[in-house]
Amino acid sequence: MLLLRKFRVHGHSMEPIIGNDKLILVSKIPYLFSRPKVKDVIAFKNGKEVLVKRIIKISAGNYKVEGDNLKDSLDSRSFGSVSKTDILGKVIYIF
Amino acid sequence: MKIIFRFLLEKLLNENTVYAHCDIPCGIYDPHQAQLAAHTIIRMTSLIHEMKADINAPFEQRKKIIHDISRMTKVKEKHSDILEEEMNTLRNDYFKEEHFKEYANLQELFAKALKSSAKARQEIDMEAAQDALVKVQEIAEIFFKTKGVEPVRVKTVYPTGGEIVLHK
Repeated sequence: MLLLRKFRVHGHSMEPIIGNDKLILVSKIPYLFSRPKVKDVIAFKNGKEVLVKRIIKISAGNYKVEGDNLKDSLDSRSFGSVSKTDILGKVIYIF
Repeated sequence: MKIIFRFLLEKLLNENTVYAHCDIPCGIYDPHQAQLAAHTIIRMTSLIHEMKADINAPFEQRKKIIHDISRMTKVKEKHSDILEEEMNTLRNDYFKEEHFKEYANLQELFAKALKSSAKARQEIDMEAAQDALVKVQEIAEIFFKTKGVEPVRVKTVYPTGGEIVLHK
């Protein structure tokens, strides 16, 4: 289990807080002690890709996520909810 | 302290890719718009170059020249925006890792297209404007190849002359 990972963001769906080509740090540590919460920005597996979005709703252990840039985001509105096992961690730092 | 922390994080951790995907994946991508924008930048650069200034001209004439140059510059700026946005959409949303592996120069083409577009926007630089078009055309050819169709270069009917990349 990787506790701290660095990612480069491709895409604009998390603007303005995370712009295209920004580096972010993602950590599993916050979720060792508590569950993911609404408003957390998370990285998660979606098929072969890793995506970054914000949790907007939690129901029955499933997490509905959306990009902050709602006009331009591929998220739970298209692919449904994310399960906890697919969550890689919380975005804890934006370079 | 913050700088040291940031430096250590940047150097010590391996970099992975995370996607903040845009758009609903409609699958509708086309390099046509970027090519039109590149031709427009060339045309505006050419028109600005053709403007003649006469210091002794009547004020009304000088005012018109300033007005016309302002409008041309605005159009040039707008089409640099379009070119850069279209390039970023193709690079971030359409092209996948396997495309970048298959066409090793693709990332470099994007970088050069964006750089030349920015230079053509900042200056009155025909060489940069032409280079932006060349790079966009090469990207268009790769795009059509990844779609399984044969790219063809067609002579344009624009005042800029030159070609545009379409497919058979």
